[in-house]
Amino acid sequence: MKIWTLQKKRVGDWMAALRAAGKEVLAPCEADGLLRFRPIDDPSAIAVRPGPCPFPFKEWLFPPHQVLFSYQFEGGKVNLREEEVLVNDQVGLFLRPCDAAAIKILDTVFLSDPPDGFYQLRRSHLTIVTLGCRQAVPSCFCPAVGLSPTSLEGSDLFLWEEDDRFLVYGVSEKGDRLVQVSPDLFEPGEGPEPDQLPSPLPFMERKEPLTNVGQKLQGLFESDLWQEVGRTCLGCGICAYLCPTCHCFDIVDESDAYSGIRCRNWDCCAFPLFTLHASGHNPRPDQPSRYRQRVLHKFAYFLQTFQQNMCVGCGRCSLFCPVGMDIYQIVLQLTGRCLV
Amino acid sequence: MAAVRTDSERTEKGWEPKLIAFVCNWCTYAGADAAGTRRMLYSPCVRIIRFPCTGRIDPHFIVRAFEQGADGVLVSGCHPGDCHYVSGNLLARRRFAIFKALMDFLGLEPERLSFSWVSATEAGKWVEVVNSRVEALRKLGPARVPWGTLSGPPPSLNGRSVAPMPQEPLSQVKPDDYQAVESQLRQLAEGLLATGQVKAVLGYGKGSLQQATPIVITNATEANQLIFNEHCVQNLTVYLTSPSFRSLRPLGVVVKACDSKSLVGLLQEDQVKREDFRAIAVSCPGVKVNGRWADKCLSCDQRIGPIADHIVGSSEPKSTAGADPRDWEIQTIEKWAPAERWNFWMNQFSRCIRCYACRAVCPLCYCQPCIADKNRPQWIPTSPHLKGNVSWNLFRALHLAGRCIGCDECTRVCPVGIRLDLINRRLSLEVAKRFGYEPGKDPSVPPPLATYRPNDPGEFIL
Amino acid sequence: MKVRNDYLPDLVRIVAMTDETVDLRTLRLVFEDPSLRDRFSFLPGQFGQYSVFGVGEAVFTIASSPTRKGYIECSFKLMGKVTTALRDLEVGDLIGFRGPYGNGFPVETLKGRDLLIIGGGVGMAPLKSLIEFCLDNRRDFGEVTILNGARTVADLLYKKEMEEWGQQEGVRVIQTVDPGGETPEWRGKVGLIPNVLNELAPKPDGKFVVVCGPPIMIKFSLQVLDRLGFSPDRVITTMENKMKCGLGKCGRCNIGPVYVCKDGPVFTAADLARLPRDY
Repeated sequence: MKIWTLQKKRVGDWMAALRAAGKEVLAPCEADGLLRFRPIDDPSAIAVRPGPCPFPFKEWLFPPHQVLFSYQFEGGKVNLREEEVLVNDQVGLFLRPCDAAAIKILDTVFLSDPPDGFYQLRRSHLTIVTLGCRQAVPSCFCPAVGLSPTSLEGSDLFLWEEDDRFLVYGVSEKGDRLVQVSPDLFEPGEGPEPDQLPSPLPFMERKEPLTNVGQKLQGLFESDLWQEVGRTCLGCGICAYLCPTCHCFDIVDESDAYSGIRCRNWDCCAFPLFTLHASGHNPRPDQPSRYRQRVLHKFAYFLQTFQQNMCVGCGRCSLFCPVGMDIYQIVLQLTGRCLV
Repeated sequence: MAAVRTDSERTEKGWEPKLIAFVCNWCTYAGADAAGTRRMLYSPCVRIIRFPCTGRIDPHFIVRAFEQGADGVLVSGCHPGDCHYVSGNLLARRRFAIFKALMDFLGLEPERLSFSWVSATEAGKWVEVVNSRVEALRKLGPARVPWGTLSGPPPSLNGRSVAPMPQEPLSQVKPDDYQAVESQLRQLAEGLLATGQVKAVLGYGKGSLQQATPIVITNATEANQLIFNEHCVQNLTVYLTSPSFRSLRPLGVVVKACDSKSLVGLLQEDQVKREDFRAIAVSCPGVKVNGRWADKCLSCDQRIGPIADHIVGSSEPKSTAGADPRDWEIQTIEKWAPAERWNFWMNQFSRCIRCYACRAVCPLCYCQPCIADKNRPQWIPTSPHLKGNVSWNLFRALHLAGRCIGCDECTRVCPVGIRLDLINRRLSLEVAKRFGYEPGKDPSVPPPLATYRPNDPGEFIL
Repeated sequence: MKVRNDYLPDLVRIVAMTDETVDLRTLRLVFEDPSLRDRFSFLPGQFGQYSVFGVGEAVFTIASSPTRKGYIECSFKLMGKVTTALRDLEVGDLIGFRGPYGNGFPVETLKGRDLLIIGGGVGMAPLKSLIEFCLDNRRDFGEVTILNGARTVADLLYKKEMEEWGQQEGVRVIQTVDPGGETPEWRGKVGLIPNVLNELAPKPDGKFVVVCGPPIMIKFSLQVLDRLGFSPDRVITTMENKMKCGLGKCGRCNIGPVYVCKDGPVFTAADLARLPRDY
């Protein structure tokens, strides 16, 4: 792995060089009290806080609203028009290791056969620059899902803050090419292997493994425990929409007398409509059964299909849940390891 | 968005205003007919849609008209006292007063939305109203709706830094104020469970991440899990209508003074039976959101709300009540020009991701299914684009007008920080001003938009 | 830039429609693109996404047999938003179709076997495809017994087809209606399908059974078949979950780790026994 150093004060120059090379830089910044990844020019607008950015990077690969195609009605005929997707090369800057790992999970869904064209195009234009975590926040539980504040999963470049500079680890060729855009800003450097960096890992409290609970959870499918843990779920979509790995969507038409679109929008398994049949039958008739689906999909079913958990331990769902449902604690409770 | 005419198409040369008139069959339609038979000339820019009664005209029709490209909407019906169905127009008058207040607050230019009483004999008035409306629209130009793109950055409330709203009123609150309540609460809950007066107690417990989280206690021995402190912010009455709690009736529910008001709403609207719950009213000094006293607490003068079966702690009114910071922010917004307000709110709504957390935490959003989940007809586009988001947020604001008790849970949980509290509060103030009604007080009176008084103010009606 | 777009439907024209019952209609559809008419192939039991432009998409199985080229058929019951809009269309109108999706019936496994085909209500639609496929490849299959039921006589579908099938050699058609649904002229059986099945008590004898219908009928029919000694891997049924993408992405049709749209909709009773009861 190549290692460089980049002076913090030169990040702006690097961004300018990236822009000059036709790339759009997306970094967490604050607008009107809301932290989100946004295209930026000015490095002073970057707002990196400990822990992951509240709004995940997902929206740039899998937008909340995607027009799939449009159509016009013309005298008994329908003219379909394919949707053109314009994408610049994009650089996702200062993602956290959990967010980068989440993109690999989205990849397994959207790039597996048949690949999703919209995702594929955006993904192929994206380079991911991750910033290792020098500090964890109480909601973090990446060690529990086999990741860490310095894991390289999904990253193209990995940065580590050290005084007034970044150690820059070249993880992929795609990442190296970003360095090559302005090689004079990067000094060849030396550093420990990323897993030897002084990360907060030893001090993190939430690290009871959740990676091998699939069978146990599935065995509980009929259990009354779900009523107990899922009863207070209010059925909003915050957990799914702020989750960097949740990817369920709805497909709807919107039209007037002349034309229309078919689009796909984010959807969430906590909504009663999600599985409601036209006949009125609903396989998941209550909130606890919907919450069960969420937990099992993440820690059991996805594991069976794709050999990995669908959770990166970012803790957003638990932190932003209106009623404080903490998926880490709930899985531990279900698997009998700990009671609150 | 492909489905909607683009703004450039709408502003092409030869643009003529498009005025949609929703009229009642018995008066205004007949009046318009009379104008026709008398060969009176008036603007052809009006499109008339006939209804049995103005009472049938839902504000949602108006939202839909703007969404589909109307430049202005006129609602017209019988004069008070003339309604074919006795009181349809009087109910409509209340509804439209609130709708107009909402649209004014959001910054829709006031001339775009008009109301008039035109009787069957008032052909002349009809002509005059239509012509004057069309002329006003012509001056304004094409509507910014259907919620098109906006230029320039939106104005910012920035209120937090300059708000002249000191946080002192509650600085006297001490942890002891909660601790005494907490220990009494545990004793009470234990007793209620032990004697079988309730099947379960729904209260606050310590969360693993958040400082307080809703918990359900079914055994007297678990009563010591209940907590009460400044972090107990959730409004637990939302669970009373949840099917998952049906088997726990009668349920003891821990309520703060504000939460107790939503019990009034639920009783008023027949959503809960009085015997299905027991309100355990905890004496509340105030609660905090993100480390700051909640806005609602700063002006709150009660420790105990209107519905209280068991009172835990002091029921003395609070002497600390100050001004409401939400009101200051509302006043700030109202000082802006309509275009600025519109810009502000469209920017707010554009962020909505349609997680429906606002609906989920709201005790009074109990409809099953919610209108947003109905697809025949699809009143609210489900897509999280501006059109759908505006639709959703307007509908919800309207449905809560006169019902919202201001617990601000919707705003607390909104992951994109939309200031729903200001909209709800603004409509509450309007309801109070116009109809002298305050929600969450008396379960025996009808909700304000389900009733009328013959002399309700109608100054906005032409 | 244009991208691979599996959501883009092909246009199909309604060339004929048959009202099977008061709320159930069969459409015969022909691809607008002439090259697709011959090229389009599928297996009995596979399904498609049918779209009414401006309204949305709905999933129906392909009710015609792949052996009958040049057209496809679907039968749908008036239920929700899309089916209501679909019913408003007329012969000559255009709709969208994408597919085929799903695994389809294991016709290779069924070859050389006697078949017991049990269908209730609109569950007959995928079975019609299978039956026609068997009849068009008559020598590949053994005896075919069809047990068809509906709530009332008026709700029985494919009346004409049933009559034709019943006249073929090696095909036996048994029809039943729910108690109270019979008319004075009704000569078939009266009783719920699981009960009629119990009464008929067919012997397993290496037969394969295919069951389609409402969830409750499937549930009890599987119990009866189990009692009669049919091995669960020889009992085949179809699952019907809400679907959107049809491509195994949207996460809506999952039953445990299985995507009904991709791994189903056809499952054996043995498969189902391994899945969580989330349907």
